[in-house]
Amino acid sequence: MKRVLIEVLTQDQPLLRLPHELARRNFKTVQRVVEREKEYVIPALKETASASLSNTQTPDQTLAALDAMISRMQGLKRKMESLQEEEKKIHNQSRKRIQHLETLHKIPSLADVKYDQWSRVRLDRLLVDHMLRSGYSESAKQLAQDRGVEDLVDLGVFTQCQRVVDSLRRGETKEALQWCGENKAALKKSQHNLEFELRLQQYIEMVRTQDKSKKLEAIIHAKKYLIPNHQSQNSEIMRAAGLLVFTQDTRAEPYKSLFALSRWKYLAQLFIQTHHELLSLPSQPLLHIALSAGLSALKTPLCHSAFTSSSSNSQSTSTSVCPICSTELNELARKMPYAHHSKSYVESDPIVLPNGRVYGKQRLIEISRKMGSVEPGNVKDPTTGEIFQESEMKKVYIM
Amino acid sequence: MEVVQKEHSRLIKRTEGSQGIKNVESAIDSLQSARDAIVADPSSASAVLATLQNSVKSSFDSINDSLKETHSGLNKYTKSLDKLFKDRPLPGTDEDGLSTHENFINRAIAMHLLREGQFGVAATFLSEIAEQKTMYPVSQNGHGPTNPPASLLDMDEVPSTEIRKQFASMYYILQQLQENRNLLPAIEWSRENREALDARGSNLEFELCRLQYVWLYHGGANSQGTASGWLAALEYARREFHVFVPRYLREVQQLVGAMAYSPNLGGSPYAALFNNSSAWDDVAHFFTREFCSLLGLSADSPLYIAATAGAIALPTLLKLQTIMKSKRTEWTSDNELPVEIPLPPQYLFHSIFVCPVSKEQATDENPPMMMPCGHVIAQESLKRLGKGNRFKCPYCPSESHPKDARKVFL
Repeated sequence: MKRVLIEVLTQDQPLLRLPHELARRNFKTVQRVVEREKEYVIPALKETASASLSNTQTPDQTLAALDAMISRMQGLKRKMESLQEEEKKIHNQSRKRIQHLETLHKIPSLADVKYDQWSRVRLDRLLVDHMLRSGYSESAKQLAQDRGVEDLVDLGVFTQCQRVVDSLRRGETKEALQWCGENKAALKKSQHNLEFELRLQQYIEMVRTQDKSKKLEAIIHAKKYLIPNHQSQNSEIMRAAGLLVFTQDTRAEPYKSLFALSRWKYLAQLFIQTHHELLSLPSQPLLHIALSAGLSALKTPLCHSAFTSSSSNSQSTSTSVCPICSTELNELARKMPYAHHSKSYVESDPIVLPNGRVYGKQRLIEISRKMGSVEPGNVKDPTTGEIFQESEMKKVYIM
Repeated sequence: MEVVQKEHSRLIKRTEGSQGIKNVESAIDSLQSARDAIVADPSSASAVLATLQNSVKSSFDSINDSLKETHSGLNKYTKSLDKLFKDRPLPGTDEDGLSTHENFINRAIAMHLLREGQFGVAATFLSEIAEQKTMYPVSQNGHGPTNPPASLLDMDEVPSTEIRKQFASMYYILQQLQENRNLLPAIEWSRENREALDARGSNLEFELCRLQYVWLYHGGANSQGTASGWLAALEYARREFHVFVPRYLREVQQLVGAMAYSPNLGGSPYAALFNNSSAWDDVAHFFTREFCSLLGLSADSPLYIAATAGAIALPTLLKLQTIMKSKRTEWTSDNELPVEIPLPPQYLFHSIFVCPVSKEQATDENPPMMMPCGHVIAQESLKRLGKGNRFKCPYCPSESHPKDARKVFL
């Protein structure tokens, strides 16, 4: 049991990985700004010192140079302060997440009430994650607030991602390119060439206008941004060059699909992929992964049977409705495989009624007692409502 | 896990103790004081600047030192994470079969939110779905089997206003019951649905009224009469219990009979009836179950149960995935999982019939059949064993003909 719990835990890797990735990036930014100021201030200081030694500088110039350095350093301080603030926030988030996982670690078994509570928090988290990925940011925010799981979900990251996606869907490359600029170093390792595709789209848009000067601009644009990638993207560049002689209503492939407006959708998709990959986020919402496993694990052949199940159905008070049979999930589970069982599982002391329905004897008699309309010595089939005599119950052997 | 926690708190400590900003400040200070010195005495400039170079440089060096420390802290934390999650890949990235059913998932989520009483979030969620559908309509040359946007807004796709209303009233009743100990809305609901509840053989109404009686006896505040305590209870019994007498004569007799012991009920044989600490929770739970059942829904959120069961099932399925990949085997029956998932018993809802002869699970096409001796095997096994002739039951000496076997429903 304990082992299962530990494995449950590993499904939540992204929970810790993401803030850590953010912390590392934050750290790299700090490193970069420090390096940049160092590279400015130290040589500048040296220059000023040697200038003042050789008396080629008026005192005013010296003071002005010092003032410039002071203001640069003050700028550095401000930047570092805000980055440190950010770092604290991230660490705080990580801490809460570790605590959340730690709780799971301390639960003795799956049957424990605490596991139930923990799972509810987990579900809330998965729901928020799904909403964020589907672009329902407002719902996600509300749910996270209502349930107090803000520190366990990545509202900021996804909201930012969604903003870029929306801009791409509107046909704008600016925000996406800006993002590429911010993540240049990390993008070099990515297998997707997002930036190239964005530049190509800009080129396509310029060609689309069929305006002479715009086309010239397109050629310059291509020289600047596309050609440098010729090693990896040669065929794409050739195609882009060919595009110059076509108009957007062409039926010739591949130019038709280059002009297609659906290319924007592809870009949005590519952006999401690249973004998630960079932050080591799983490409599928965890909710989908958990659900598809759960649906199969719970599903039985009876869930989509043409016959009402005797053991769990909504007509009978004595049983609870099976979640797969419940309307919410029934359609979703239709194509899923059902769980494998190697042993039969029936109520104790099963009997069969003349109509073929099987029930636990004791339970059937008890339910019938509770129902006022049933005479003593009779039993009522809770599924069909038929009345039988107790003597008609027949023992059935299910191995 | 402990290691991760330790490394992380160490990391936090390091961050808090970080001298980076202090060092920047000291660099600013030395710059500033050098400037002041030069203003005071311009001739000293070269000497001041020479010392300044050293102090600024050392400030930068210490900034870098503290950065290095943070860096090593981060790395140690990375290592502890890697160790914790070692050899445990994330769930596979291949298709999960659910992405094409986005709207079913969204419907399930909306229903879940309503069930949990998150009406505000549910409303936002539904309007955001509608908004997105109008903003990005599925293009004509749509990719794959995405569903047309209109279908999501159909009444049977998304919880209709009717269901929303139902859940809202359920929450009102539950809230009254749990927070205000007011049973009247629940009793009223059970009276309105008496017929449907009776058909299910549910005794919810009686349970509610019984609790009301006990509550009145204990001095519950919501009595309509002026009498208090046991008088109010008796008055209530006289007014309401006659409906229950035919069915629950014994229980009613007990309830009323207990009054003879008042005020020393605690020491009477009926004490358990009147001092049941979990009575309110039980009744609330019972009510929720009945309410949902009348709507054809399960009492606990199916989404919750499925996701939780999924978390338990995933490790096994992942292992299977790796094994299948390494051995390059395919799993042959695509409508049944190839491994058994050890779910806790509360996740078993239906009876399961596995044919003891063929070891296959019964399905609609291959239903369980009971031979006259009372043993049950699957229909296909029956055909194979009998071949149309009399045959001996595999489990007992009795012989029978396949046509004497009867289908049973589990």
